[in-house]
Amino acid sequence: MEGQEGLNRQVPVPICVPVDFGSILSAMDRYDVAIIGGGGTGAAAAYDLTLRGFKVALFERGELTSGTTGRHHGQLHSGARYALGDVNIARECMSETLILRRIAHDCIEYNQGLFLALNEEDCALTDPFVEACISAGIPAREIPVGEALSMEARINPKAERAVLVPDGTIDAYRLAMAFFASAKARGATIRHFSEVIGIDVVSGTVGSLLIHDLLNGREYRVQADAVINAAGPWSNRVAALAGIDVPVTAAAGSMVAVEGRIVNMVISRLRRPGDGDIVVPQRRLSIIGSTQQKTDNPDGLQPEREEVAFLLSAADELVPGFSLQPLRAAWSAARPLAGRTGDDGRAISRDIAIYDHGSLDGVKGLFSIIGGKATTLRIMGEKVADAVAGFLGVPVACSSADHALLPHSAYWRLP
Amino acid sequence: MRLTLRIRRGLPMEARYEFFVVDMDGSSTLLDALEYLRTGHAPDLVYRHSCHHGSCGTCSVRVDGKERLACLLRLDSLDPRPDGVTNAAGTQTGDPLPITVEPLTVFEPLADLVINPGLLFRSQPERLSLLRESEPVAKENQTTSEVADHMQNPIPSYRFEDCIECGCCVSACPECASSGASTAVPAFMGPAALAALRRETINRPERREELMERAGLPDAVPACKRHLDCSRVCPRAVYPAKHIELLRREIAK
Repeated sequence: MEGQEGLNRQVPVPICVPVDFGSILSAMDRYDVAIIGGGGTGAAAAYDLTLRGFKVALFERGELTSGTTGRHHGQLHSGARYALGDVNIARECMSETLILRRIAHDCIEYNQGLFLALNEEDCALTDPFVEACISAGIPAREIPVGEALSMEARINPKAERAVLVPDGTIDAYRLAMAFFASAKARGATIRHFSEVIGIDVVSGTVGSLLIHDLLNGREYRVQADAVINAAGPWSNRVAALAGIDVPVTAAAGSMVAVEGRIVNMVISRLRRPGDGDIVVPQRRLSIIGSTQQKTDNPDGLQPEREEVAFLLSAADELVPGFSLQPLRAAWSAARPLAGRTGDDGRAISRDIAIYDHGSLDGVKGLFSIIGGKATTLRIMGEKVADAVAGFLGVPVACSSADHALLPHSAYWRLP
Repeated sequence: MRLTLRIRRGLPMEARYEFFVVDMDGSSTLLDALEYLRTGHAPDLVYRHSCHHGSCGTCSVRVDGKERLACLLRLDSLDPRPDGVTNAAGTQTGDPLPITVEPLTVFEPLADLVINPGLLFRSQPERLSLLRESEPVAKENQTTSEVADHMQNPIPSYRFEDCIECGCCVSACPECASSGASTAVPAFMGPAALAALRRETINRPERREELMERAGLPDAVPACKRHLDCSRVCPRAVYPAKHIELLRREIAK
């Protein structure tokens, strides 16, 4: 931000003196904010902070979006799935759905969604479900099953009730890359294959980061006045570099994709969130998601054979014949849930949690952001940027909902 | 199943091949194998990946010289051949040949299997329309009457955007390789960009004139010499060569 004192401070370079600590510092890249983690949350935080005028750098140990972000099943959540019981995230999903359709429309196939009640229990839940949606601001509407069948000919004809909701499909990779492109165009430094291997804490304040460049094997340091830990299910490993703990549960979920776009709308089972209850079309393929189980290690996840068989049979209940389509891929991703649990993690809220490690752990300037959904990436960026801007004493308001994002391709077009 | 992977490692100027033995379920993919190596013996192995289901187009590599998506390539489809070496007793040793994994060609190599995909995106026409709601529109090679027929029938809602921008076709194209495509102004814009251009002429008829003019320039359709490798390696059956030929015909009209 031009004319803002306190931003982009340059340490004066001493001339004609022996090398001392000060000159080493001045040779180091300096940023207002360093972000650790190149997923959707980091991308949105980088964009938001550059819009507010901060000098930002982001470090991701792999390719951008290679952790959790790229692998989700692609549902643009209206929030309906969480309306019963997890109302905060349901509301946020709805308002973010509207914003994303405005700022990132070319990353979205907006074909709406249907919730299907397939048995007595589902039917009994239908009225409370619609009421919960409406009270969370989600315009859900029960429609006759015949009308649902005329919208989607291949859904289970034995469905007893159907509810129309404003769901859609997101291109997971492109949406995050649109945020990265927009951040890069505004001057953010974004480094992939750059693993943060050290966080220096000096007198209770976060100081420099030690980075390992995996492309050339070199290590270097950067200076940052504030650091955001946006490492998702790896957040606790990052926090441990600063000697602190972040409560995060890595919940592994498996998904299966088949060839063929067998529906245009997102088809969900009308029941409380469970395994294998969402079918999402993505361009010319269809995906059934997902399972969920707690995992200790979010790296190198692979689905079990039984999970694949279970998911395909669950998909057949919603869209008969799903499993007859040629199998394309089965894969797993680790969701980062805020909090800890002994069970599979379904009971943990999808709420967004921000940890200010200054007040919590005595490490000023370090913030962690955990939880949320792919749909809520923008507001996750906004919330953590609010916290960081407050800490840096530069209270500029968020404007990331006001501008259309650049297309994903701009990230790679830009030098 | 047991496989030996021969993986290109290091910076472009000092690249070498390293051998890794993996023993994984045959239903695992090459990407699963790379993940297994990175989280075990080779923590500094770098490769691109994101969606793990053939939708983002980041994990394309060359496997035994052919462009593939690592995430869709099952290990049991690799069918390692015995190396044919006979031992002193005259019987085959039966050791499988290693599978060679290399980065895409043509693109700027960064390290190990990582390339910079910028060339592909810089070659595309600007302001491409991307995803949108499903709508009953034509398949790429449908006639006008077939389109009209589909409009009246309820089912088919086609999506055009099959190209996942993986760069396989660019890497496989001999013209891209020989025309200095990695330079700032390549002599051939490449098959992916031309396929995207043709799709855009159908998606956005109002841009047709401008786009057809672009397609006729020397670095576009005329630079294609019909090698057809693009269509052979495309993992999403976009068949770029077909689109280039259709553009060629329209230009000739």
